[in-house]
Amino acid sequence: MQDLDRRHFLTFAGLGALTIGAMALTGCAPGGSGGGAAQAANIRFAWWGGAERQKAYISSLKTFSKSFPDITVEPEFGDYDAYQERMTTQMAARDVPEVFWVPSPQVLTYRDAGIYRKLDDIDVLDLSAFSKEELELFKLDGELNTLPKSMFSPVLRYNTTFMGEDGITLPDKLTWESLSELLIDYSKNNAHGRKGTSYGAYHDMPFESFLRQRGEDLWTKDGKLGASVDAVAEWINWWENLRNAGATTTISEQNGIQPGWSDTGSKVLVSFANSNHIVDEAPAFPDYEFDQRDLPAFADAEAGYHFTYYSRFAMYSGIDDSAIGAAGELMNFNLNSLDLLKLVGLSAGAPPSTKLLDSYESSATETEQKVIAVTRDIAKREQRPRSEAPAGSGTWRDALVRELEGVTLGSVSVSDAAKNFVKAVNAEIEKA
Amino acid sequence: MAILADREAAVNDEQPPIAAKTLRKKKGSHERQGWVAHIFLLPWMLGMILVTAGPLLASAVLAFTDYDLLTEPRFIGFDNFTRMMEDERFWAAVRVTLLYVVVSVPLQLVFALFLAIILDKGLRGLSIYRSAFYLPSLLGGSVAIAILWRQIFGDAGLVNTVLGFFGIQADSWLQNPDAAPWTLIVLNVWTFGSPMVIFLAGLRQIPEELLEAAEVDGAGRIRRFFSITIPLLTPIIFLNLILQMISAFQAFTQAHVVSGGTGGPLDSTLFYTLYIYQQGFRSFDMGYAAAMAWVLLIVIAIATAANFIASRRWVYYGDE
Repeated sequence: MQDLDRRHFLTFAGLGALTIGAMALTGCAPGGSGGGAAQAANIRFAWWGGAERQKAYISSLKTFSKSFPDITVEPEFGDYDAYQERMTTQMAARDVPEVFWVPSPQVLTYRDAGIYRKLDDIDVLDLSAFSKEELELFKLDGELNTLPKSMFSPVLRYNTTFMGEDGITLPDKLTWESLSELLIDYSKNNAHGRKGTSYGAYHDMPFESFLRQRGEDLWTKDGKLGASVDAVAEWINWWENLRNAGATTTISEQNGIQPGWSDTGSKVLVSFANSNHIVDEAPAFPDYEFDQRDLPAFADAEAGYHFTYYSRFAMYSGIDDSAIGAAGELMNFNLNSLDLLKLVGLSAGAPPSTKLLDSYESSATETEQKVIAVTRDIAKREQRPRSEAPAGSGTWRDALVRELEGVTLGSVSVSDAAKNFVKAVNAEIEKA
Repeated sequence: MAILADREAAVNDEQPPIAAKTLRKKKGSHERQGWVAHIFLLPWMLGMILVTAGPLLASAVLAFTDYDLLTEPRFIGFDNFTRMMEDERFWAAVRVTLLYVVVSVPLQLVFALFLAIILDKGLRGLSIYRSAFYLPSLLGGSVAIAILWRQIFGDAGLVNTVLGFFGIQADSWLQNPDAAPWTLIVLNVWTFGSPMVIFLAGLRQIPEELLEAAEVDGAGRIRRFFSITIPLLTPIIFLNLILQMISAFQAFTQAHVVSGGTGGPLDSTLFYTLYIYQQGFRSFDMGYAAAMAWVLLIVIAIATAANFIASRRWVYYGDE
């Protein structure tokens, strides 16, 4: 073999690096009968969340294994975004976990991909906690193929410590206008340099409530974006009014359009959130007390604007027939087990089963009592139906964030941002 | 002569059987060694075929399809490629990536060479410095460092704290679309350790006698550096340039973590690979993502080829 001179060695080394790099770049490309009693089986169970939730669910699975020693559960856990990416890849490979949580933007995408197995023919599945009307509500196009694992609603969270220190009380009837005035006034006059709220125009559930109060829907029954350009502009304007008046943390302070609780929790009087978030977020600031309540509403808000979001889980349509019983038992455990609830708490939301929630109440922590209170309050209200996010809408929040960046940096007007947002979301849905 | 010829003939008559035997033995041994080599190479070859070449070819096919990962791919010809021409975010990603490559790579190489020259002076504790400087290269592309970068350049980060001592109030550098890409450029320059180690090895190979001869001839330090060190180091500079350029084109983790996966603000940190990822795994538009990946591959190949052609003018190989 001839010796390599330096030119050739370096040439080969360079070309080798190019080849490996190129390969790294391009190498990312590329559905029985009802179950009877649970047989021995290996079940993969996929869910998302933070480290605490991961730990809690893994502990709960050990409890499940004690009751069903023949069923082995393989946990597949991930952060919310990573979970969705992994699920999509697994769906492409038809290698989906037998039981899995369904992220809200993907409910109909997953249905269209045919990965849900129907659930009303599984003998072991105990749905007695739900009324017929509730089961009808959970159906997608008339088929019971997902079940709710938890429920939550949008809320206004407030720092009761700050309120006490700064002499603030929230009126019982809170409108968007009165809240805006209160936050602006508070930011100007409080002695501690605190802000009214963080800039939260990207919050999806308060945005949906805002739309429903105006008689619009986020998603229509026929799978379209229900928000009008005017409504989107009005929503952004509400936030811009606060920001320009110095009533929100700056985008710089909160490190972006999507404020992290750790960046803003100790700086603001109120924040918009989901009713369950307080469970994980309040302990981040042990020196402060937090509470939560229903969102503000327009004086002439459309009836039935309140809503409870049901977070779903499902069984994979490609599940082996012999594993259906075991997967059904695992779903049962998620739906009806007080033991599980005592281990995982309400960080993912309140249980949809009223009976289970009642049983759990005495074990709930002080913070969880606040989740239960607001859940019950909203459940009592009139709620007109809501539709799930259609296929292709999974990136709608990204589109909103991009437009909000433009608005807050002054590169686009509010009305143009609203137009761009509606256009971008509609284009994505049409493409799907 | 006749005697000699007879002896040669005798030797030649005797030699063939022995030579043939030895040859057969050697051939058999080589064949066995060949099989053994193939068996040892098999895992790599299987990995290459299944994990690299397979997806590579698949992505080439998918580039001509509309594929959302959930339904069957649909052939759409060159639509994905024509779509790029009209896609504003695609061009934003191209601009950001080119800025990153064109600015950060030369800066990184200059910085790496500068430190390699200092370390080549035979400092005490050289190995400690070398390890310390190399460390960022190991960590630079990691999530941990990108998170650290968020803290350093954030609103209440280290940079603004230091500026605060001088009475300068500044906002988060990462939320300013003019400043955000530069923070990533600084991060890349900071990972100078890998090219520095290669430069250091190159500097050690420069014959001392050449430098001494130049010194005797009256050449000063600067003259020796530009007339001897740099020309003899050009093959190493070239190698580092190619390696770092390819790496910069593929940069992903830093932008993903620093921008929270959005490429914001206003797409100012939307690296090309981040946009591929967004299209493939967030919009589930894998056909378009595959097409973009192939465009990047071709661009890198062209840039590399152009560098090789240009290298004939400025790279000096001592053995020529």
